[in-house]
Amino acid sequence: MGNYFSAERFINVFPKVISNLSVNLHIVFWSMLLGTILAIFVAVLRIRRVPVISGLLGIYISFMRGTPLLVQMMIAFYGIPIVLGNIFLNLFGINLNRLEPVIFIEIAIILNEGAFLGEIFRGAITSVPSVQAEAGYSIGMTGAQTFYRIVLPQAFKVALPHYGVDFIGVFQNTSLVFILGVVDLLGKAKTLGAATGHSLEGYLSAEIIYISFSLFLKGVFLLIENRLNNGTAKAV
Amino acid sequence: MIELTGVKKSFGKQEVLRDVSIKVNDGEVVVILGPSGSGKTTLLRSINFLERADSGIMKFGEKEINFKTAKKKDVLYMRRHTGFVFQNYGLFAHKTVLQNVMEGLVQVQKKSKSEAQRIAEEVLDNVGMLEKKDSYPSQLSGGQQQRVGIARAVALKPDLILFDEPTSALDPELVGETLEVIKKVAKTGITMIVVTHEMSFAEDVADRVIFMDGGVVVEEGKPSEIFYKPKEERTRQFLSRIIPQDAYVI
Amino acid sequence: MSFSITSFFDSFKSALLYAPVTIKLTAITFVVSLLLGAVIATVRNYRVPVLSQFFAAFVTIYLGLPTMVALLLYNLLFMTFYSDVAAALHISVPISDVNPIFIGYITLIIGTTCSVSESIRGAFRGIEKVQYEAGYSIGMGKFKTLTRIIFPQMVPILLPGMQNSLIGLLKASNLVSAISVVEIMTGALLPSLMYYSYLEGYVAAALVYWMIGAAIEILAHFAEKNSGKYLKRTA
Repeated sequence: MGNYFSAERFINVFPKVISNLSVNLHIVFWSMLLGTILAIFVAVLRIRRVPVISGLLGIYISFMRGTPLLVQMMIAFYGIPIVLGNIFLNLFGINLNRLEPVIFIEIAIILNEGAFLGEIFRGAITSVPSVQAEAGYSIGMTGAQTFYRIVLPQAFKVALPHYGVDFIGVFQNTSLVFILGVVDLLGKAKTLGAATGHSLEGYLSAEIIYISFSLFLKGVFLLIENRLNNGTAKAV
Repeated sequence: MIELTGVKKSFGKQEVLRDVSIKVNDGEVVVILGPSGSGKTTLLRSINFLERADSGIMKFGEKEINFKTAKKKDVLYMRRHTGFVFQNYGLFAHKTVLQNVMEGLVQVQKKSKSEAQRIAEEVLDNVGMLEKKDSYPSQLSGGQQQRVGIARAVALKPDLILFDEPTSALDPELVGETLEVIKKVAKTGITMIVVTHEMSFAEDVADRVIFMDGGVVVEEGKPSEIFYKPKEERTRQFLSRIIPQDAYVI
Repeated sequence: MSFSITSFFDSFKSALLYAPVTIKLTAITFVVSLLLGAVIATVRNYRVPVLSQFFAAFVTIYLGLPTMVALLLYNLLFMTFYSDVAAALHISVPISDVNPIFIGYITLIIGTTCSVSESIRGAFRGIEKVQYEAGYSIGMGKFKTLTRIIFPQMVPILLPGMQNSLIGLLKASNLVSAISVVEIMTGALLPSLMYYSYLEGYVAAALVYWMIGAAIEILAHFAEKNSGKYLKRTA
């Protein structure tokens, strides 16, 4: 084993790998922020059943759920410059081919989350019994008031556990970005491995960081859920 | 037929059965009465090992089983020689009426499918459920489900059938039809222990009534003795809460 | 640069050619994981001492590990230790002749087993206690009650989740491309390598995945309609 793994190398490599966790977190932050906003639009539009748009959204969601994220990232990376390249060059003077790959990765994850979270939000909103909305109307609230004050808070509680699972899923999915040359946790582990000829320590570091941070996120979401449940328990 | 001696059972700190002894003779129909929490259901479930009593001896036919040391084969022996009818029916939700009755015949008694079907249809006919043999439990009323539950127990030809409050989950108008079926089973001469709150049923059908309270047998005797000349104050109190309403109606 | 229909069709054909690799990988992994997951869930449901605690810890930790990280780690371990192990076991197959897809199988099976075991544990909670008791009361043992009564009743509870797991697995199988297994995506890229038509290749791959996913959805819908029969009130 001594040849393959050394504690000394591990101690040396671990800090270098974990310092690149920020790259993963950066991707998670922007993807979740914009993905959540997109998902709210998707959910509301789906619930309202706007004719043509509803059908298009159905196809969009089906595509996002039915194809691998890696393929989606690749299509974004190669496709967006081809489709929008000229427009951006002429209108804004931006050469899309020069953009960092991480931008295209984020676009892919955002679109992916728009579909996945959109379905989670839609399910949560429709799970609130209609009598709740009716009760809102019965005391003279407007449609918007009923939605924001009665339906949404209840839907939020239904959606939260799923949102947590999805959030952790996005964090874990950032393990794909090294394929496009982004030096994240795993990318760092790989480059260090290639440079030193010893990969195991770096991979183990990445594994430990991924597991610990996933469990940490899980704990955070459980804490939020408990807080929320306690809040309503007291109120009732 | 069956004799229980010194049965004890606690759930945590709560003593549910404190030294219960009862005896049921061959062909006898025994009704166990008592307020809720008296331990009557736990006693019944202990016989079938759906609850594991902490200690006590059970003599069943030739067999003697110590609750403390009962082995897997003892448990199976009791379950294969006794039938159980559940308060909330307990029909297999994913099987049709016919399949519910056939399941034990085929899987446990290893009868051929055709033989099992013949027996099952006969028993279902007896409880008036043959027409519904291809329905699923979710499509039946509570009373109908319970009749199938009874048929499932009877079909296996057990030496003893245990009824755990078989009508207490039913709507009042469905109680009658179910009790009629149980009476019909009683007339076949099979040994039965019935836990119930139905006084008039007990009076009609029971050979003997056992009154339990607080985890002990308070008194036992013929229905007429227990209902009209109870010896114990506790029995009298319990009956006074239940019988008067009935009596005035009659 | 633009989208070439000819390259797209070349890629599409090539992707279809390798679709069986993906389908086989997905199907075998799914069946094995379902069986192993059922065992783990049952062990945990009955609180078998030691084993249930072990599985609880293992599943919780393992679910924190992304498939890609596991895949690369196992692949590395394989590359590092193969020659030693092979020598010790007197296996004379050189490492270059070992199909790396078996590392894909191991990775996907362990991961899917963990997530499936969680779903089955949830399904256990959806079954009433009286269903077990009814099984015992007619003289069935624990094993028979489990296989004849409890598991069949879990099927309609599990189906929607299993459909998601299966499609998730289909997509996760794409990751084995990272350890140079030729499957749908890498298959679709074979023609692209000649013409640099990557976009066409990836779009073709997406289309093939999408089609298989749709087929799974149709099958699952059909299965759901049939397995849930007993739950409906009307005959």
